Amino acid sequence: MNVNKITLSGIILVITLVFTITSGGFMIPAQAQKKQVTLTAIAAEPKERWDILFNASLQKLRERHPDMDIKLDYRVLPYDTTRTQILTAMAGRTAIDLISVDQVWLGEFAQGGFLTDLTDRAKTWGKEKDWYQINWNGGKYNGKIYGIWAWTDIRAMWYWKDLLNKAGVNPESLQTWDGYIAGAKVLNNALKDQGIQGMHLVGASHSPDMWYPYLWMLGGDILKQKNGHPTKGTYWFPEYNSTAGVKALEFLKRQVNSGIKPQVNHFWGQEFADKKFAVMLEGSWLLGTFPHEQWPNINQKIGMLPLFPVVNKGDKSATMMGGWILSVPETSQNKDLAWELLRIMVEPEVLTPMLQKEGYLPTQKPIGEGPFASTLNATIPYYKEMISMISIGHSRPNIPEYPQIANNIKQAIDEIYYGMKDPKQALNDAAAKSAKVLGW
Amino acid sequence: MLSIFAKAEPYLFLAPALAILLVFLIFPLFWNMYISLHNVSFITVLRGWEYVGWTNFFDLFKDPNFHTSLKVSLLFVGGSVALQFGMGMLMSVLLNQKVRASGVLRAIFIIPWTISAVIAAFSFKFIFDYNFGILNYVFHQIGLQPIGWLSDPNMVIWSLVIANMWYGTPFTMLFLTAGLLSINPTIYEAALIDGATKIRTFLHITLPLLKPFIVINLILITMWSVNFFDLQLVLTGGGPLFASTTASLYMYRQAFEFGLLSKGAATGLILISINLAIAFIYIKLLRR
Repeated sequence: MNVNKITLSGIILVITLVFTITSGGFMIPAQAQKKQVTLTAIAAEPKERWDILFNASLQKLRERHPDMDIKLDYRVLPYDTTRTQILTAMAGRTAIDLISVDQVWLGEFAQGGFLTDLTDRAKTWGKEKDWYQINWNGGKYNGKIYGIWAWTDIRAMWYWKDLLNKAGVNPESLQTWDGYIAGAKVLNNALKDQGIQGMHLVGASHSPDMWYPYLWMLGGDILKQKNGHPTKGTYWFPEYNSTAGVKALEFLKRQVNSGIKPQVNHFWGQEFADKKFAVMLEGSWLLGTFPHEQWPNINQKIGMLPLFPVVNKGDKSATMMGGWILSVPETSQNKDLAWELLRIMVEPEVLTPMLQKEGYLPTQKPIGEGPFASTLNATIPYYKEMISMISIGHSRPNIPEYPQIANNIKQAIDEIYYGMKDPKQALNDAAAKSAKVLGW
Repeated sequence: MLSIFAKAEPYLFLAPALAILLVFLIFPLFWNMYISLHNVSFITVLRGWEYVGWTNFFDLFKDPNFHTSLKVSLLFVGGSVALQFGMGMLMSVLLNQKVRASGVLRAIFIIPWTISAVIAAFSFKFIFDYNFGILNYVFHQIGLQPIGWLSDPNMVIWSLVIANMWYGTPFTMLFLTAGLLSINPTIYEAALIDGATKIRTFLHITLPLLKPFIVINLILITMWSVNFFDLQLVLTGGGPLFASTTASLYMYRQAFEFGLLSKGAATGLILISINLAIAFIYIKLLRR
């Protein structure tokens, strides 16, 4: 009888244990049964913009997926480090779900097989018409969509009104090449005792970016398609050493000859905010170097001309457009969710507050011209003027060889800055190197 | 059985160290050689690697920028080693005298070596800045013309040498101090009794006894200067006009800025050869 009781107790115990294990134990809260998903992202500095965007988007993503416990782990790195980190992570097949891609990296990343082809997803999304064409196309490589251009920036001319007043320089006179050079001489002379230089001239690694507008406004271009490539049939060939290119580079030489010093170090507008220069051609992010409290009245002390100086008054100017593309790496383990997060990040309701706070420009018509435009217009100084520059904006090539080509062009610019070659020779030598890089 | 184990025992104790050497030194070296003989870039790294033989090396030797980087390296390494060694020797000899608070002074002089090279580079970037830098500010105050420390192609390499001297001298100072402390003081007493002056004592006693330390120090600081690229990368990025692109920075840029991994690997192998040659020369000098 005792043995039977023990056996029966044992059987009951075993059944209870089995039941416990298979049903997940005692009363488990519903939340613990949610699927755990952690999305990872790598983005380029500054961090604040990503904090704003990711926090807002993640909240919305969670609301849309109550069955999931979604976390987002993102790293914000300096510009150069971002590219290197992404490349080494992709080469090592590290799983990353979302990355910020500079437009000039897109071709390299796509060609390397690092990015997810988003063409079909984007087609289903159906938002192409909302984007400015140049920005939508900026996310394409070889006809396929690999990223969505989230926001952009332009380069314009900024000046300190009081310094120009003091020197007796009319800002409108700076619109032409001759006026710019004349203004530089007057400003340098008037301000040298204060340790202020008249004009800023980029001598840092991105100097080609500040030269391209002069090339474009003269009808030139960096590269063109050419037949007869040894392996690709038709491929890109250097075009920047054309007559337009030579003339554009001669203008840089004139600037140096007039006493404008190329600046090797670049502080992204801080040097202008610190009043080291009276005039600076710089990106729209320059506004971010001023405290937000000063934005409502900043136009009283800082002036802005929405152009690069042109040859003759009335000529069409040009500018370079930058900004950031959002992409889903090929190594992502959560492609659908990452794509959904990306779409949320670029929704006008989510993106506009960040643009407003940081002073960036939209790539979408609903934000640039539509109902959200008034918000930005009311907050960002010179917003209308900056938006007007999108129509004269150009972007750089996004082919894999672009970093080397930019390096060749930089060398040509440096050779002019230091008087080592004349513009034609410098550009021809650079173009020869670029042609070799492109496989010609 | 026991004797077999006894014979194998030393190798068993060496095994962990050999394993680390194999994983972190031998394998990467041979992997680097493999990459240098193939066409590997960021674009092709996930696709097929085409065997190209010595092409990467030939491209390297034909690249005028590589020639420039070798010349720049020569100036950078020569200047850095001379100044680091000279200053380090001077500081170690002076602090080895009966100087008050020599311990505190040694601790202060070591500070540059304790900070990261990148931080040191950023600091010098501001010090040397044409507009914001303290140096040009002082020059301006005393009526001198400002200098383009980082913008003048003729000056930039010497700015790097100055920064590297500041950063690397503490190691030489420490190393030679250890050497000086190892010298038996009775030798100096005997020399003093024999009437030797301080300079003769230094030349004929200190230096010869310090020779092994000097040679090892020179090997180390030369190799480090050859391999060092953090300073150049942060301070100038290699410009203007490649005037501050040393071979190590050239290698980094080829591999990680242009994505030409195999060209970077080939450059790395050339640098290893240079380092080995330097070490060989120094050791030959030591044996004399």
